[in-house]
Amino acid sequence: MKSPIWENIFKGWNKEKESDTVLTLKQVPIFADLTEKEFTQIEKIIHKRNYKPKEFIFKESAPGVGMYIIMKGSVDIVINSSTEDETILATMKEGNFFGELTLLDEKPRSAAAVSRENSVILGFFRPDLLDLLKRKPSFGIKILLNLASIIGDRLRDTNEKLGNFRRGKK
Amino acid sequence: MKEKKEPLVKLYRLIQLVLIAIVIYFIWPHISNVVMILAIVFLFTTILLPAVDWLEGKIKSRILAVLMLLFFLLAIIVLFFGSFGVNFYNEGKEFSQNIDKEKVAQTLEKMSQATTAKLPGFIKETINEQTKDIDYTARVGKIVQSIAEKFTAFAAKLGTFVFLLFMTLIFTIILLYEYHNFKKSLVSLISNRYFEISLKLISQIEKQVSGYLSGQLLAATSVAILSILGLFLINTLFDANLSLIIFIGVIAGLANLIPLIGPFAGMIPAILIAILNNIQNPAAVEHFFFIPHIIIMFIIVQQIDNNLVSPVVVGKSVGIHPIVVLIALIIGGNLMGPIGMLFAVPTVGVMKVVFTEIRWVMKNAQYL
Repeated sequence: MKSPIWENIFKGWNKEKESDTVLTLKQVPIFADLTEKEFTQIEKIIHKRNYKPKEFIFKESAPGVGMYIIMKGSVDIVINSSTEDETILATMKEGNFFGELTLLDEKPRSAAAVSRENSVILGFFRPDLLDLLKRKPSFGIKILLNLASIIGDRLRDTNEKLGNFRRGKK
Repeated sequence: MKEKKEPLVKLYRLIQLVLIAIVIYFIWPHISNVVMILAIVFLFTTILLPAVDWLEGKIKSRILAVLMLLFFLLAIIVLFFGSFGVNFYNEGKEFSQNIDKEKVAQTLEKMSQATTAKLPGFIKETINEQTKDIDYTARVGKIVQSIAEKFTAFAAKLGTFVFLLFMTLIFTIILLYEYHNFKKSLVSLISNRYFEISLKLISQIEKQVSGYLSGQLLAATSVAILSILGLFLINTLFDANLSLIIFIGVIAGLANLIPLIGPFAGMIPAILIAILNNIQNPAAVEHFFFIPHIIIMFIIVQQIDNNLVSPVVVGKSVGIHPIVVLIALIIGGNLMGPIGMLFAVPTVGVMKVVFTEIRWVMKNAQYL
């Protein structure tokens, strides 16, 4: 005999609905190949922040602490901000990420990040990554490998561009 | 308009501060125990957190890691204090039952005569005049009675202490288990402007405090081991009949956490045991119950700790000025007695780290 009470209680049992945060994280190559459980764990350590238009996410030369992923809205990457020489280097859209190199070292930020509109941004920080490496080494290593792969791709891309540039000069 | 408002705002803030101070003054007696528990829980959590994180990495379950570690520590503490406490109690009981007050009085008199014999003539004469009418038997009786009274008072306080200990354990389990979520919730309250810098600050403070506290614990462990070895040597070389040497060593290690006073406090159990065990042994009386041997051994242990062990394990990063240490000890002692003294210096260490980091933030305020 089927009871509507029990059916409702166990409705969706074991079927966790993916949150918007997890859906955004799935677009980021640093979190590629993670299992559903690992995404839930990442969601627990990630910080969700709301920014107003023109609000700084970080300033140029500030010590870097981690990377950001845009969940909603857009962000300008700016140098010489608040001066006459202010230059927008790039505009990042939903699903884009920036500042990932500070996961590896705490060198000062080379540019500022400014929210263009009301934005929701996810922050993933170096202390949390280091914690993760201590608490769940195999999981942390997955992220580090992905990060290394992204940096490798960029290095290859830069080498190719440099090669093309030199060849063009000759 | 803004200029006119500022003094009012300042006055409003001042009134707020005064009101808060008054409220704290009145509710402090009711919340002091909770504040003390929370401070101890925070310190325990900081010390145990790296071990819990490491264990979680191995067994893949945080709650299991927390429970395993705490029960392991509790088992060691209960076994240690249980077995040695029972031994100590038995020895004390045996001592008080078998003690022949007349004989002890004679021993003390003999020891006092032996000491005065070695002193220069004029001091000897003064001492002889001062001590000729002392009734040693009555004095020993009074001392034994006062010890018994203090034990009764101690037993009454034990109930409250056990309750506080239980609460501390529960809070430590919760904070260790929820630490990362708790930290995330706290961080979420910080405004965007100070967010990154606060994260950096928290991580630096965690690292420094954890390093400082584990360093202190390592130094205390080394003092405990060295003291045990030293007492063992005194037993072997001079046949000093010292018992409970592991217990004495551990107490010396724990006392070492209290700077300046700790090293002396650490000697007391050893001296007490030496007197208890040798009170009716004439050979020991000749050697002043081996008290000089014990003092010299502890001084050597302190020298090894101060010059070799502590500089390596504690480091000089959180060096605190001796005057600050003394002030902290007085305040800690006034607030919470010996426990306050034990926690005074780690607390000052934590505060120093926090202030150093805040100063760094203020210097780099242009990045906010």
